[in-house]
Amino acid sequence: MKALKAEKVEDALRRSRGARVDADVPAKFEAGERVLTRNIHPIGHTRLPRYARARLGTIARDYGVFIFPDSHAMAEGKNAQHLYSVHFTARELWGRQASARDGIYLDLWDDYLDPA
Amino acid sequence: MNGAHDLGGLHGLGPIDAEADEPVFHAEWERRCFAITLASGFLGQWNIDMSRFARERMHPALYLRTSYYEHWLHGLQTLLVEQGMLTEKEIAARMAELAAEQET
Repeated sequence: MKALKAEKVEDALRRSRGARVDADVPAKFEAGERVLTRNIHPIGHTRLPRYARARLGTIARDYGVFIFPDSHAMAEGKNAQHLYSVHFTARELWGRQASARDGIYLDLWDDYLDPA
Repeated sequence: MNGAHDLGGLHGLGPIDAEADEPVFHAEWERRCFAITLASGFLGQWNIDMSRFARERMHPALYLRTSYYEHWLHGLQTLLVEQGMLTEKEIAARMAELAAEQET
């Protein structure tokens, strides 16, 4: 088993990889498109919060191709796919009592989204 | 998973206590916990998403009454045991040893 030696720590931390994947995976959506998040409740890891499931949002930006954490966390491989910044109005998430001006952006992967 | 980590919209937890000039670590053990977690990650037995999932699997009641680095420590123990690198027994034995050292 590999172990990290003290003199290698700085180098290892500097070279530690991000989650971006250099692969030619087609995007399902583009900026400006309306999407509906999936109503999923996986027993494994997911980065789609409960309050944002089955909600309408708008693709704000396509970040490119990234490791899909839901698969990666279960040791099922990278399942690389596009990651987007998705805008949701506060009223879509929290109802009519929420401010009409507020909203949030969530970083969401293709597998969380359907066309609206 | 629908765990205690997914807090969005949960009422009753009180205001967020934003500290001015918040230190990176509030206690020496937190610094150590952070270092051990990163060093163990370089053993290559799991990835960052597996380590997040290990923290999320804490019992919700325990998760909500423990601090950030307690979550890290709990998650690390889960991974080390699941990967067969340590046993619960070994962890308990070492903790007993350390407790005995502190008493003397």
